[in-house]
Amino acid sequence: MIKKPNLNKLSGIFILWYREILMYVRNRIKFFSSIFLPILFLIFFGTGLKTIFPLVTLPYDFAEFFFPGILGLSVTTMALSSTMSIVWDREFGFLKEILVSPVPRSHIALGKILGAATTGLIEGFLLLLAAPYLGINFSLKLFLGGLAIIFLIAYGMASLGICLTARMKRTESFSFILQLIIAPMVFLSGAFFPINNSPAWMVNLSKYNPLTYGINSLRWVVLSQTLKPTIISQLTTNNFITSLGILISFDILITVLAIQLFRKMC
Amino acid sequence: MNGEIEEIIQVENLRKKYGAIKAVDGISFTVKRGEIFGFLGPNGAGKTTTINILCTLNQPSSGVVYINNYNVVAHPDKVRSFIGLVFQDVTLDDHLTAEENLYLHAMLYGISRKDFTQRKIEVLKICELWDWRKHKVHDFSGGMKRRLEIARSLIAQPKILFLDEPTIGLDPQTRKKVWDYIFNIRKKKDITIFLTTQYLNEAESCDRVAIIDHGKIIASDTPENLKKMVGGDIITIKTEDNDSAEEEFHQKFPQYNIKKIGKELKIEIDKGNEFLPVLVENLNAKIISMELRRPTLEDVFLELTGRQIRENDNGHIETESPLFDLSSLFTLFNPSHNHDKKTKSQ
Ligand SMILES: Nc1ncnc2c1ncn2[C@@H]1O[C@H](COP(=O)(O)OP(=O)(O)OP(=O)(O)O)[C@@H](O)[C@H]1O
Ligand SMILES: [Mg+2]
Repeated sequence: MIKKPNLNKLSGIFILWYREILMYVRNRIKFFSSIFLPILFLIFFGTGLKTIFPLVTLPYDFAEFFFPGILGLSVTTMALSSTMSIVWDREFGFLKEILVSPVPRSHIALGKILGAATTGLIEGFLLLLAAPYLGINFSLKLFLGGLAIIFLIAYGMASLGICLTARMKRTESFSFILQLIIAPMVFLSGAFFPINNSPAWMVNLSKYNPLTYGINSLRWVVLSQTLKPTIISQLTTNNFITSLGILISFDILITVLAIQLFRKMC
Repeated sequence: MNGEIEEIIQVENLRKKYGAIKAVDGISFTVKRGEIFGFLGPNGAGKTTTINILCTLNQPSSGVVYINNYNVVAHPDKVRSFIGLVFQDVTLDDHLTAEENLYLHAMLYGISRKDFTQRKIEVLKICELWDWRKHKVHDFSGGMKRRLEIARSLIAQPKILFLDEPTIGLDPQTRKKVWDYIFNIRKKKDITIFLTTQYLNEAESCDRVAIIDHGKIIASDTPENLKKMVGGDIITIKTEDNDSAEEEFHQKFPQYNIKKIGKELKIEIDKGNEFLPVLVENLNAKIISMELRRPTLEDVFLELTGRQIRENDNGHIETESPLFDLSSLFTLFNPSHNHDKKTKSQ
């Protein structure tokens, strides 16, 4: 028998990505709730808050303010919680089947990251489609730009998730850890209130929060046709280029860390 | 195929320590190409630890392991590409169908689509799961899962197949089926099989057996040769009062060995058929039953360790569990604590 050449070295990444997507689509409850929840959020936040504070005069609309925040929250939650599949696989044994295969550890980690990031991207995509109904205007270019930022956020959060799974053996403990991580990260990112007007300690903490730069980037792109740059800069902590640069740097660093940790934990 | 070595697995002075526990304590052995090699040992003997090291999933504390001439520590990727492994616990993806599980495996091993379609039919037919190929694994019984796992491990046509207690938890019929299947594979394919077991009759089906206890190999040979260590025959007798019968035997036949095993007395003897009448004639104790048989590997294990390999068959003590188990609180903080129980009890 002739040993076939390993045609495509990257096929391991693909197959792990594929399984992640398969799990996402198969899990109907997760699938539908992931679409339904953020829309519910938007309706409550957007219309609800608008009627509670009708007298506050701001140069921007509540929907305009909250939309990128909700988008960031949903994408973050989705990408992070998708990495739970690693803990799940460890708990129910399937991880061993993957680990004993000839696919290199780094490819396994990358496949998992990309899979989790894709679920976040799908979520963000669906929410972006809803944007025009909230009075946010789009061109195709902006839409694609928005998707790119969403992917960068989802990717970074998925890598962060992989790092968090390093010592986790049970899914229950992991979902608990996720809550602990997501809540402060989202609140300190400026998703729900402009961080610029907050106390100094919050401003300082938010500087070390990668999600801050994700939300900044999202605001700059998604709102660029709806609001004036001077107004967007009131809602963000940094300009677009700085935010995007830090976001990408974070993605790269966290990928390296995730692969290292994944190697070590197996 | 001239470069292929005869001894496909070589293990030298392998050790694995977990803190103070010596899970594997300096074992050495070799497995020949095409052989069925069995690792026989009780719970906690170090079987799984050894298999995991051989399969690159665990790092040895010291010692060297060569699989097909590749060092497992230096070339894990190489080793992984030509071994197949069936784990002690189920490692299928429950959400997927039987076919999808096989497909994922094929993809992980870089099998082409064409090869896969062909081999899939073959392995599903041999393990009699063809009609179930579109069903989710979730709905499978333990035996079906086991068969599917063995089928899966063959998709990539490994040179060496590792089976960690392949028949654990199966009923006798299914256990027999799995064994028929293992023999079948060996006959049809050029494959070496390394398996672990706690069942003596299974170990007897192997070409060679290593008996492992407390992380050490205490004997290693063909089942026939191992049994010769015990001697010619075994006579077991049951009497109304075993203690006094044993005493009496010692006085009358000091040259022979007698041991009390559970509710029976066991005598090792060279020519059992000739000794039996002598025994009946001379022993005053009231005999309830007696049996003459050839030694089994159980006798070998007993001889070497003084214990039975599976002691839960007699004298099982039920411990009372406390009303409030504080250790379960502890698991809140140390999630790994309770993990083993859960996966094993399915
Ligand atoms: N990860 C670990 N950490 C600490 N101790 C371990 C670990 N894995 C195994 N051990 C210990 O090493 C010893 C050998 O375990 P191993 O699982 O190899 O036994 P085994 O022969 O496979 O037993 P079984 O028949 O129950 O499967 C046991 O005492 C076990 O408690
Ligand atoms: Mg074991």
